Amino acid sequence: MSKIRDFLKPGATLLAVAVVAALVLGLVNMLTAGRIEAIALETTTEAMQAVLPADSYTDLEVEDDGEINSVYAAAGGGWVVEVTESGSQGTITMMVGVDASLTCTGISVTDSSETAGLGAVASQASEKGEAFRAQFVGVSGTVSVSKEGGEIDALSGATITSRAVCKGVTAALEYCANLG
Amino acid sequence: MNAKQQLKEGVITNNPVLVQQIGLCATMAISTSLFNGIGMGLSVLIILTCCNVVISLIRKIIPEQVRLAIFVVVIAGFVTIVDLLLQAFVPALSESLGVFIPLIVVNCIIIGRAEAFSSKQSVGASFRDGVFQGLGYTVVLVCMCLIRELLGSGTIGGGLFNGVDSFLTLDGTGAGFQIFPDTYAAGAMILPVGGFLTLGILMALLQYILRKSAEKKARKEKEGEE
Amino acid sequence: MLASLVSISLGAILVNNFIFSQFLGLCPFLGVSNKMSTATGMSVGVIFVMTMASAICWIINEYLLIPLGLEFMQTVAYILVIAVLVQFVEMFLKKAIPSLYSAMGIFLPLITTNCAVLGVVLLNTQNYYNFLESVVYGFTGGLGFTLAIVLFSSVRERLEFADYPKAFEGFAICLVAAALFALAFMGFSGMKIL
Repeated sequence: MSKIRDFLKPGATLLAVAVVAALVLGLVNMLTAGRIEAIALETTTEAMQAVLPADSYTDLEVEDDGEINSVYAAAGGGWVVEVTESGSQGTITMMVGVDASLTCTGISVTDSSETAGLGAVASQASEKGEAFRAQFVGVSGTVSVSKEGGEIDALSGATITSRAVCKGVTAALEYCANLG
Repeated sequence: MNAKQQLKEGVITNNPVLVQQIGLCATMAISTSLFNGIGMGLSVLIILTCCNVVISLIRKIIPEQVRLAIFVVVIAGFVTIVDLLLQAFVPALSESLGVFIPLIVVNCIIIGRAEAFSSKQSVGASFRDGVFQGLGYTVVLVCMCLIRELLGSGTIGGGLFNGVDSFLTLDGTGAGFQIFPDTYAAGAMILPVGGFLTLGILMALLQYILRKSAEKKARKEKEGEE
Repeated sequence: MLASLVSISLGAILVNNFIFSQFLGLCPFLGVSNKMSTATGMSVGVIFVMTMASAICWIINEYLLIPLGLEFMQTVAYILVIAVLVQFVEMFLKKAIPSLYSAMGIFLPLITTNCAVLGVVLLNTQNYYNFLESVVYGFTGGLGFTLAIVLFSSVRERLEFADYPKAFEGFAICLVAAALFALAFMGFSGMKIL
């Protein structure tokens, strides 16, 4: 009998603590879930607005092939493509704006785990980051870094990141070309 | 134990990172900009204080056999709360610290303080312990950030200040004050190498200072005897 | 499919080595790397727990947390799984293979608070890995941990005879040595299977 009680008391206490923790977490989640979702939506819309301004975007619901995540058709013509490429540290996710004549209208890096100070510049709002991304406006066809004879000057110390972004833009342009 | 002594222990003589040498992972991983450093430091401070208080409150009803499991549940609970709040109110910080926020759960500082301190001491003392140990952690983080950021990208206050008009920004995008052009910066300081190196040297520095002051004290005592 | 698994493995072992580039699992890394034998003992435990935890947590997340809309409980659920798993391994080894238990026993509880283990599980979720990818990432992450800790333990054995300033005694000199390792591992960055 005493053996069962030896088990019961610690078990019950642990269970009680776990239940209280779960309840509190549920409450906090309820309070924050809406905001978190709104922020995620806002970030996506903001990124789309930055690369190809339009009144509204329709999700074309393409199948995720590991590179092209999603494609949105902009109301005024053209597309915004979300692409994921592997960079130097992890994956880089970016939004690429493509207009009806298959020219890139701009890019924005929405998620990356590149090295701070080097590859991470690609996603920053700093002067250097803006300058790097601005190079992609107006490019078409196959995009590559200047080292490989292309038109993009790579970020200093972050050739791999720059190459990955070029590859992503190329993939987006190619995808849209097939869309018509 | 009085507050002043606890403060000294937390920040210097028993500093969690430099002396107890725990919680090193996050210290090195995120100390690349001041924004990250302060954000992470404060998050740990808040979580540590809350956990200390709660564990101290329930210390009398925690059964010995399952105490670690209970500590872990309490800690994981607070970490998740902070994680959710950051996602909702400071998304930039949550984005830039990434997986290191949920990883605070296994930050040895918190479970270590629960085991060594708050499960045995009064609520008041545990609260102070949480604040001061958290402060000690934050101070080291901020030092690491300042050194690595300055040497690695030539800036101070990256993410926190907008270098152009020097306004405080909270979205983590500010480039900081450019102290010297980044073409002269040693980029490696921002990379993992820099993290190991900076922490190693800071640790050595504190050991040197503590040893010197101990020697000085010993000499003084000796003189006093004579 | 195979290419993605190979690239995950390569990433976990070399390019994004848990210790030298992601800073996960540093406490046990510094704590038990002073001797080659303890380092290997710890590594075996870590590989096992990381692989098992990846598999179990993936199932729990996919079939329990997501259907119930309880994603916010991930951290709590994962750490409990890891704690229970470690406890279970400890009990199993004690009964089944006592010799291995006595060699590994003291490291087992340490694995619970090894952030590489929780880290790998959280990263599986964050990267949307499928079941197979998660298990492979867990296993190879453990291999990367082993590589780092075994290599480093041999360096540390040499460090004992090195002549360095007194202030660097203990972990400080180890961190400086680890910095050189991290520098070497940087050479792997960008390596990938096309």
